[in-house]
Amino acid sequence: MIRTPLRPLARILEARQKGENPDAIERENIRLRHEEMRDKLRVRAEQRLLLLGIMFFCAFMVIGARMGDLAASEPAEPRAASGGASIVAQRADIVDRKGRILATNMETHSLYAHPQQMIEPERAAEELGKIFPEIDVADLKKRFTSDRKFLWVRKKLSPEQKQAVHDIGEPGLLFGPREMRLYPNGPIAAHVLGGTRFGQEGVHSAEVVGTAGIERFYDDVLRDPAREGAPLELSLDLTIQAAAEKVLYGGMKIMNAKGAAMVLMDAHSGEIVSLASLPDFDPNDRPLPATGNDPSISPLFNRAVQGVYELGSTFKIFASAQALDLGLVNPSTMIDIRGPLKWGKHKIRDFHNYGRELDVTRIIVKSSNIGTARLAQMVGATRQKEFLEQLGFLDITPVELQEAKRAKPLLPPNWSELSAMTISYGHGISTSPLHLAAGYAAIANGGYTVKPTLLRQNSAKYGPRVLSAQAAEASRAMLRLVVSHPDGTANFGDVPGYGVAGKTGTADKPKPTGGYYEDKVIATFASIFPISDPKYVLVLVLDEPEIHAAGELRRTAGWTAVPVAAEMIERLAPLLGLRPAIEPASLAGITLSSN
Amino acid sequence: MSYLEYNVKHVPSGPRKILFLNWPLALLLGAVASVGFLMLYSVAGGSFSPWAEPQMKRFAAGFVIMLFVAMVPIWFWRNLAVVAYAVSIALLIAVEFFGAVGMGAQRWIELGPLRLQPSELMKIGLVMILAAYYDWLPVKKTSRPLWVVIPVLIILFPTALVLNQPDLGTAILLLTAGGLLMFMAGVHWGYFAVVLAALGALITAVFQSRGTDWQLLKDYQFRRIDTFLDPSSDPLGAGYHITQSKIALGSGGWTGRGFMQGTQSRLNFLPEKHTDFIFTTLAEEFGFVGAFSLLGLYALIIFFCISSALQNRDRFASLMTLGIATTFFLFFAVNMSMVMGLAPVVGVPLPLVSYGGSAMLILMLGFGLVQSAHVHRPRGAA
Repeated sequence: MIRTPLRPLARILEARQKGENPDAIERENIRLRHEEMRDKLRVRAEQRLLLLGIMFFCAFMVIGARMGDLAASEPAEPRAASGGASIVAQRADIVDRKGRILATNMETHSLYAHPQQMIEPERAAEELGKIFPEIDVADLKKRFTSDRKFLWVRKKLSPEQKQAVHDIGEPGLLFGPREMRLYPNGPIAAHVLGGTRFGQEGVHSAEVVGTAGIERFYDDVLRDPAREGAPLELSLDLTIQAAAEKVLYGGMKIMNAKGAAMVLMDAHSGEIVSLASLPDFDPNDRPLPATGNDPSISPLFNRAVQGVYELGSTFKIFASAQALDLGLVNPSTMIDIRGPLKWGKHKIRDFHNYGRELDVTRIIVKSSNIGTARLAQMVGATRQKEFLEQLGFLDITPVELQEAKRAKPLLPPNWSELSAMTISYGHGISTSPLHLAAGYAAIANGGYTVKPTLLRQNSAKYGPRVLSAQAAEASRAMLRLVVSHPDGTANFGDVPGYGVAGKTGTADKPKPTGGYYEDKVIATFASIFPISDPKYVLVLVLDEPEIHAAGELRRTAGWTAVPVAAEMIERLAPLLGLRPAIEPASLAGITLSSN
Repeated sequence: MSYLEYNVKHVPSGPRKILFLNWPLALLLGAVASVGFLMLYSVAGGSFSPWAEPQMKRFAAGFVIMLFVAMVPIWFWRNLAVVAYAVSIALLIAVEFFGAVGMGAQRWIELGPLRLQPSELMKIGLVMILAAYYDWLPVKKTSRPLWVVIPVLIILFPTALVLNQPDLGTAILLLTAGGLLMFMAGVHWGYFAVVLAALGALITAVFQSRGTDWQLLKDYQFRRIDTFLDPSSDPLGAGYHITQSKIALGSGGWTGRGFMQGTQSRLNFLPEKHTDFIFTTLAEEFGFVGAFSLLGLYALIIFFCISSALQNRDRFASLMTLGIATTFFLFFAVNMSMVMGLAPVVGVPLPLVSYGGSAMLILMLGFGLVQSAHVHRPRGAA
């Protein structure tokens, strides 16, 4: 910068020549310089201010333009504020084979507390005690007055309860939305559905986790978001299930049994149309699991799937069917039944003396242990084991219930010839009623195995053939006679028009200490109907039935399980869409007198 | 220039001063405050309680404070600048230790019946000390590095304290207001260029770092930025305020739904409807016309302040007036931008309109200073 000197030599000399004070020149120059500086500052300040003004103006313009932009925009519909994360119906519904809801979700509220925000914690605790009588008020008071920041009070509230809690007016009591699992039919199909519990719980939602039954087995599937909430379709039929449970309950009461179970299976597809176990429970409010050693005391115990019992004479038909299939006998082959049949130290006896010999049909109809054991001897242990394995008696059932995985059949440690003989009449092997139903299905459908399933199938699903069609048909004819013949053990089981065929089984219950009770039995009736075109297998089990009938205390299946099963078939057959039919002539022709 | 140089004769004295007030500015303040009363009355569902009535009382008190401050000569206030700044700093530190916690941040201090927000006081204190500093500093030293560092420290210290509360909105406001004041004081533009460039580089770096292993922000912080840039990505979560207020503005249209006819704000769709988001009520009920009119009133206030500053040859008075105006401008510009989704939600009230005592009184105090500067401006030939 070129600066004007404050005392320019030329001007000073000039002034001195004129005799003037040269200092005036310096003062003049200083003043000019100051003015120049001030002007520059002024200009700069004004420039800065102008710049600021422009910035302000731009900001005004942007804001104004945005106002115009928004004013011109289409207003969207106002939306309600959602309290935190939105809850989506995550768990899929469970429906029956006709699409009726068995399990669904309901939005409810949990109740939690922020004790530090409470105004009157003690009054709140007392009021809550009035709404929820099961709450321990003293304990709640203690927790409300502690220095905790958060605590759960209830996991689920009904709308009435929620209103009542709201009316307490305590700001420290808060509601959180959550989904709960709802079983609108209450205890119906309880053992199939199982139940759920809350997993991880948050204030805005809670995880629902299957704890038992199909809810547990298909927990992943039901929670799979990829299925987009598509319902899980079961093979159960709600109507059939309700009717079956009602009849089973009545039967259990009349027969003074402590428990009962039934399985109704489609013999061609393995679909379980109905499955019930009594006593039952409400899956909406699952009882706590039994704590003792015997889980069968708990209503949670599924006798049809979890219970493994010696199912007794119901097994005889497998011995005869296999013998027929192998061509060892035909229905009229005479078998020596003189007893007792001794095998080593063991003696096999019949309940009654049936004479010297009986044909195969009569062995089944009269339920001769000795006769069946003789058939088993003919077949041999190896082939019998193979056959029963094919029918699924040696493994857990593949049914889609968590409990089934724990119901492994009890088998003899080594499958000796003696074992084969006792197993032939259902002793020495313990299986679940569901196993038995699957075995009977093979006889009913003409010789194919089926896989028991709770999922709806659209068509017949046969496994490998285990019996020839002829052997299956002959076996069915024998089973039919068990019911239709006046001497048959199940002659209370006939339901006119529906051609019931079946086999009874009465097995003494084993003592936990070893040996058998003399007065406690498992009474079973395994049946096939309608015999003209076999479609369904019904297995009905009564646990410790006892009834006074015809002047005696009766426990055998023929007096207990059979009448209940008959009642059930009478009720269910119309619901299943079966029409009552006249007995086919071909079967009517087979009579015992023809021999 | 010192106050001794003032041509005292030309400055009005005694009660006569009141005639020399910047009356248009006072009337504008009253007009803006009236808009606030109207909106608070509407938000409360057509009732003076709980908001409109206390707000009116506060404005009356604020107006009295403004008049009082205006009557006191500006040089007295200038001499008080250091004290004001020191007291503000002391209170900011005090609030760290004794402050009450409200809405998740520690901002308030209880002084008897008065709930004081020291960060509000700091807005005035900072403007005053910076103006006094540049008044004291010989002009030729303005841009020397040492003399630039001092005001930067003066700004950064309270900013850090406020940021620690945490109150990001006020911190940004202090930083911006202080920076603009330095700019107006004539600090070389090179400094600002460097700071702006560094800021730009930092922002670029932050965004570039996303997804790499040297990521500078946490993932949730990036998500907040995402929400700001596109509120519809999380309409029920963090973008909720913005989405709802945009709906309110949109439904207001050009002329609005009419007084007390707003649904968004009155049906509790909007949080903070009586404080930070009160602008949405105005926009919904009076539409673009109403909102733009308020913006116009604010613009006029700024205009009167700037013109007063231009007339004033006293460096302190002029800088302080500009500083107060800038602060005021930042308040409503940030608030409006935030409500309309132009800026992230930082929690800055709409000045003189939003319900709240502390901010209102402090603002009126600031305008008192502006008035004082106007009344006591040097007159006649310098």
